[in-house]
Amino acid sequence: MSTISDRVQIGTGRPSVVSAALAMTIAATVLAFLVVPGLTVYPLVAFMVVAAYGWYAHQEETARSLMFVMTASTVLILALITVYLVVKSIPAFRIMGVDIVLKTNGPFWNPREKLYALFPMIWGTLITTLIAICIAAPLGVAGALFISEIAPRWARELLKPAVEMLAGIPSIVYGFIGFVIINPYMMNELSVSTFGSLIAVGIVIGVMALPTVVSVAEDAIASVPGPMKDGSLALGATNWQTMTDVTIPAAFSGVTAAVLLGVGRAIGETMAATVILGHAQVLPEPLYNVFGNTETLTSLIASQYGIASGSQLSALFAAGVVLFVTVLVISIASQRIEARMKQKLGGEV
Amino acid sequence: MAVDSTPTNDLVQEGTGRLQTIGYVLQAVALLVLVASFALLFEVVDAQSLVAGQSVLTWMGLGFGVLGLGFVAVAGLSRADLVESTPIKSAGVGAGIVYALIGFVVVGLVSSQTLGLQTLWVIPAILAGGLVFLGAVYPREDIGSTLPAAGFMVFAGTTFLTGTIGLDWTWQPIPNGAVFDASMALIVTGFFGGLLGAWTAARAGNGFGSRGRQSGAYLLVSVNAVAMAALLFALVTFVAVRGWAPMTRGIKTGIFWEPVYWFYFQPIQEYVIFQIPGLWFYWPFTMEGAALMNDINGVAPAIIGTFWLVVGAILFAVPLGVGAAVFLTEYAEQGRFTQLVEISTNGLWSTPSIVYGLFGLALLVPRLGNSNSILTGMLVLGFMLLPLVVITSRESLKSVPDEYRDASAALGVSQWQTIKSVVLPAAMPGVITGVILGVGRIAGETAPILLVTGGSPFPSTGADIFDPRFAFTGQFPWVSLNIVNVDPLLQPSSALPYQLYAVISAGLSENLSFAWGTALVLLLVVLGFYAIGIASRAYFRRKLQA
Repeated sequence: MSTISDRVQIGTGRPSVVSAALAMTIAATVLAFLVVPGLTVYPLVAFMVVAAYGWYAHQEETARSLMFVMTASTVLILALITVYLVVKSIPAFRIMGVDIVLKTNGPFWNPREKLYALFPMIWGTLITTLIAICIAAPLGVAGALFISEIAPRWARELLKPAVEMLAGIPSIVYGFIGFVIINPYMMNELSVSTFGSLIAVGIVIGVMALPTVVSVAEDAIASVPGPMKDGSLALGATNWQTMTDVTIPAAFSGVTAAVLLGVGRAIGETMAATVILGHAQVLPEPLYNVFGNTETLTSLIASQYGIASGSQLSALFAAGVVLFVTVLVISIASQRIEARMKQKLGGEV
Repeated sequence: MAVDSTPTNDLVQEGTGRLQTIGYVLQAVALLVLVASFALLFEVVDAQSLVAGQSVLTWMGLGFGVLGLGFVAVAGLSRADLVESTPIKSAGVGAGIVYALIGFVVVGLVSSQTLGLQTLWVIPAILAGGLVFLGAVYPREDIGSTLPAAGFMVFAGTTFLTGTIGLDWTWQPIPNGAVFDASMALIVTGFFGGLLGAWTAARAGNGFGSRGRQSGAYLLVSVNAVAMAALLFALVTFVAVRGWAPMTRGIKTGIFWEPVYWFYFQPIQEYVIFQIPGLWFYWPFTMEGAALMNDINGVAPAIIGTFWLVVGAILFAVPLGVGAAVFLTEYAEQGRFTQLVEISTNGLWSTPSIVYGLFGLALLVPRLGNSNSILTGMLVLGFMLLPLVVITSRESLKSVPDEYRDASAALGVSQWQTIKSVVLPAAMPGVITGVILGVGRIAGETAPILLVTGGSPFPSTGADIFDPRFAFTGQFPWVSLNIVNVDPLLQPSSALPYQLYAVISAGLSENLSFAWGTALVLLLVVLGFYAIGIASRAYFRRKLQA
C-alpha cells in the first residue's frame, strides 16, 4: 500500500540535530545496558530529556525518529537473542565439538563428566513433533476448510472463536491434564512401564498446535478470490470438487505455511513436555518406541536450568540454539511460501 | 471475500430413494461404532460390560458385520441397477490409497503376528496393499469404493465375533513396551472403522459420483469440526468441574452495619450513630496466600504476580509495538529495512517461549539485580508480546482507508497530525483487540516465568508494588509522594501458570485439589481475556459494517 509520504513529503530527508541526538542517546543507553549496566540511567535520562525537548519543539520530526527507534528495536531484540544464545552456548560447543548433535550412541548426558550430547533430546523433539503434526495438520486443514467453505454462518461464528479459545488454553493446563489423566491412563490401560511417554506428549502437543494450523490455513483458504471458485461452480462442479480442484491448489502455499507454523509451535512447546515426560536423557528402546520415555530439547532446558551452572548451563543454551535456529528456519520458510502465494494470487489478498 | 457457496442442490436433486435410506442406516451404524469406541476410550463402558445381554465386544463385532454385509448389498444393488445411482468410472486414486493403506496395515499385522512371519511381513503387506489399490481403482466406482471397505468390515467383524481377538487377548509389540488389550483393539478399530464406514455409507447413500463424494467428504470434515468444538467444551468443563469446589471453598459473604457518622447528642447524653449497610465478602482461594495457619490456602500472590507481569509487559510492549507499526505503515518505504523488520517480527513471533526465558536469563537477570525478579519477567513477556502487537497493529492500520489520510492531507493537516488525530483513532479498536488477545497468550506463559521470575513455590504474600502514600514532611520539599515500591519489582514472584507448575512439581498427592483450583483460576483469567478480546472485535466489526 502506498503511504502518504509519497504525496505530502514533509521531512526533507536532512537528518536534523534532534534526530541525531535521539539516535545517539538511545544507542548509548543500549550500549551502557549491555556493557556497564550500572551507568545505564545517565544516557537514558539524556535520551528522555532530548525526547521531551524534541516533542515540545519539533514534534513532527521527533515522533518520526522515535517511531523509527521503536521499529529498529524489533530487529535489535532478535539480534540480541541470537548473540546471547550463541555466546552463552560456546563453552558447550567447545567441550563437545560436533558430537553435541552428532553423537548417536550412549551415554549421552552426564554433567559430572561434562558429557552433553543432545541427540536423544533432538530425537525426542523430532518424534513428538511428528506425532503432533500427524494430528494437527490433517485435522487442522479439515477444520479450516469447514470453517471457511462448508459451515453455515451460525456454525462458523461459533467455531471461529472456539478455535481461538482453544489456542488460548495455557500449555501448563494441557500439561497438568496430561500429567494427572493421560499418564495414569497409559500406565493402567496400556501397561506402559514409565510415567510419561512420547506419544502422550505428541498427542497433547498436536491438540495444542491444532488451533494455529486452523486459523492460518483458514486465512489462506478464505483469501482465494471468489471469482476463481465461481468459475468452477459455473462449470457445474460440486462445491467439494471446487474445493479440491480450485480452492486448495490455489491456497496450497498458504496451507503449507500454516502446517509449518504448526510444526514451529510443536517444536517450541515446553511446559506440556516438561510436565508429562519422565526426564531421562536416553534414547527410547527401540528407537521407534513411542511409548518410551526420553527428553525433548525444551523440557531439558525447563527441567535442568535450576540445577545447572557452568558448562551444564552452557549446554542448555546450546539446546536453545538448536531450537531457535530450527524454528527460525521454519518461520522464514513459511514466510517465503506465504509471500509466493500472495504474488500468485495477484497483489493484495 | 469468501463467496457465498450455498449449495443449490434443490435444482439438481435426484431421487435416490431406497439407496439413500440404506445409506442413512449404514451411516447410523458406523457412527454408533465410532461412539462406542469413544465410550471405551473414556472408560464409560468396558469391552466386557454387558449391553442388552451381550458384551460391547460382541456388539461392535456385529456392527462391523452389518456394515460389511450392507456395503456388499449396496454394491450389488447398484451394479445390477436395482437402485438409482450415478457411479463414475473409478473410485479414484485418493480413495484407492486410503484402502491400500488399510490393506497394508491389516495384512501386515496378520502376517507378522498371527502367521509369525518375522521381517517377511512386508512382502504380503505390500502385495495386499497393491491388490487392494487395484481392486479399488480398476472397477466401476460403486464396486471399487464399497467392496474394499466391506472386506475390512467383514474381517474386523469375524475377528471380534469368533474370538480371535477375545476378551482375554493381549498384544505386546515391543518387549517391555505397551500392552494392547481387547479394549484398545476395539478403540482403534472402532475409531478408524467407524470413520471409514460412515464415509463409505455417505458416498453410497448419495448415489456415488460427484455428489456422493461431496457427501462423504462433508461428513468427515463435519465430524472433525464437531470433535474440535467438543474438545474445547470438554477441556473447559472438565477443569471447571474438578476445580470448582476447591476454588470456591470457604467463600463467605455477609451484610454488616457500617458507622459513617456519629456525634454526641447532649439532651440524651449519648452518641448518635448513623450506619449504612456494607457488604462483606471473603473468598479465601483468591484472597489468601499459602501459610501454615490458614484453613484454606490460596493463590492470591500468584494472581498479584500475574497482574503485575501483564501490566508491565503491556506498558513496555504496546507503545513500542504501536510505534513500530505506525512507522512501518505510514512512513517507511517498502524496501530492505521493512523486509528485515518483517522477518524479525515473524521470527520473534515464532521463537519458542523457553528461548525467551534463556535470553532473559543471559541478558537481563545479571543486569537487573542478579536474581529472578518481576521486572525481568515483565520485560521478557514484553518481548514476547511485542511481535503480536506489531503484527495486529499493522493489520488494523492497513485497514484504515486511504481516503481518510487523503481527506486530512487535503485540509492541509501535516502527516503526523493526520496520524495522531485520524489514522490512530480509526485503527484503535483493532489495536486494542490485538493487545487483549496477546495478553491472553502471555498471561498463560509458564516457561519464561519459570526461568526469570519464579521464586518460592508457595508464597504467603504477593508483591506489594502499588503503594500510594502521601505525607507532609518537615524537610524540603515538604511533601513525600510514593506511588510504587521499586524494591518488590526486583524480587522473585509467583504467577498463576508458575503456581500450577510449582504445585505439580511439589507433588500432587496432597495438593491435587489445590492444583485443580489453580488451573481453573488460570483458565478463567486467560479465557476471560480471550472472551473480552473476541467480543470487542465482533462489536467493532459490526459497528464498522453498520
